[in-house]
Amino acid sequence: MAFLELNQVTYTYRQCGRPAVAGIDLAFDRGGITAVIGPNGSGKTTLTKLMVGILRPDAGEIRLENRPLRSYSLAGIGRRIGYVFQNPNQQLFCNTAAEEIGFGLQCLGWEQEVIGERVAFYLDYFQLASYRDVFPLHLSRGERQRLAIAAVLANEPSFLVMDEPTAGLDAYRKRLLSDYLQKVVSLGRGVVFVSHDADFVRRVATRVIGLESGRIREDSGGDRGHAA
Amino acid sequence: MDAVVVCDLTFRYWPDGPDVLNRISFQATPGEIVAVTGLSGCGKSTLCLCLNGIIPHSRGGEMSGLVLVNGKDTREHRVASLALEVGLVFQDPDTQLFSPTVEDEIAFAPENLCLPPGRIRERVNQAVTLLGIEAFRNANPNRLSGGEQHLVALAAVLALDPPVLVLDEVISGLDTGGRKMVADTLETLRCQGKTIIVVEHDLESVAFADRMLVLDNGAISRLDRAEAILADRDWLATRRLIF
Repeated sequence: MAFLELNQVTYTYRQCGRPAVAGIDLAFDRGGITAVIGPNGSGKTTLTKLMVGILRPDAGEIRLENRPLRSYSLAGIGRRIGYVFQNPNQQLFCNTAAEEIGFGLQCLGWEQEVIGERVAFYLDYFQLASYRDVFPLHLSRGERQRLAIAAVLANEPSFLVMDEPTAGLDAYRKRLLSDYLQKVVSLGRGVVFVSHDADFVRRVATRVIGLESGRIREDSGGDRGHAA
Repeated sequence: MDAVVVCDLTFRYWPDGPDVLNRISFQATPGEIVAVTGLSGCGKSTLCLCLNGIIPHSRGGEMSGLVLVNGKDTREHRVASLALEVGLVFQDPDTQLFSPTVEDEIAFAPENLCLPPGRIRERVNQAVTLLGIEAFRNANPNRLSGGEQHLVALAAVLALDPPVLVLDEVISGLDTGGRKMVADTLETLRCQGKTIIVVEHDLESVAFADRMLVLDNGAISRLDRAEAILADRDWLATRRLIF
């Protein structure tokens, strides 16, 4: 049983002539790092939003842990799948960087001491410790990107979907992210990320899915796209 | 005359905050492409905002030193006036897209200059053709992908035909075809005598630049021919600028 499965998924934005994605058949297991690549406008971001329930398919079905995705609330999906938006501004809303990272854990009722430890760890790992009390929107684009990633990772979801996580990151922070994702996967979690960064994809991905005009053009994961 | 002159530029966002830019000095000539790079948070985007007057006019903070664009002191000219000299494409394109269609977006600035309709159409067509975005000319910019939005924002800036262009992390968000298109476009614009400042983390994507300015904690770490910096892998590695 795949962790996340898409069966003949199609989605068309209103007032658009053609589907953004069409006839998508994919399955993802925990473990492994999958890169989704393709030209601008090929449907990559749309695919990620369908995977985490932000968009609902017009046709086909998506199943999470063998249950229809539509049977979950967004919060229920969020507890299982962490999502990093292409633009970090869309997911930063707290007063400080530390609050941003701790927000999800607060909502889940974790103990303050544990939250404190985890916030400190992620601030340190993503080199944001000196910005602990800074308003997130006062950070640079790359710093906001790191903060958004840290905030999602702090909840330690079983699966991660990240839309262009390396955008705005310098080479050093890309290496840190690469190391972290490999660590995450070694603990049995799965990662799917969208990227134009061919070098990062080459270094990190164990499976590559190529989209073109909303359809799958290639999938190194084999039949029905199970993770290698 | 140099198109861009920056002399001893220092800037901080808050009175008790750190200097985000620290005594930056450089010039850029007509027909030159200068790439600006450095670790995240080193001041690249802040420098871009100083080049078109958003700093100091629209953002607070404390600025000292001088920025001249085509002889105009950015402290003494309004942003609207400086926009005719410096076209800026923001790091997040959705912060500068607001029209219902791509065509409207590109036409907006020439319309506001009260250009005749024929000239406006000409500029829109030129920008659309140059960047290969005819296919979504009538699309809503908000419905486009991030990379497509960057191309539209660039087209809208080109429609003003400014002598100086500043692109903040535009290229790395594009696919291979888009990168080649923008690189070819910038080469064409360079030959027309435009001055182009390109901010990027991905150094290979700006290998076509004439010179490269490397920032480190707001100060200039190195300013040299791009070719020389890109060939100096040891130096780049010690500065953590390559993976």
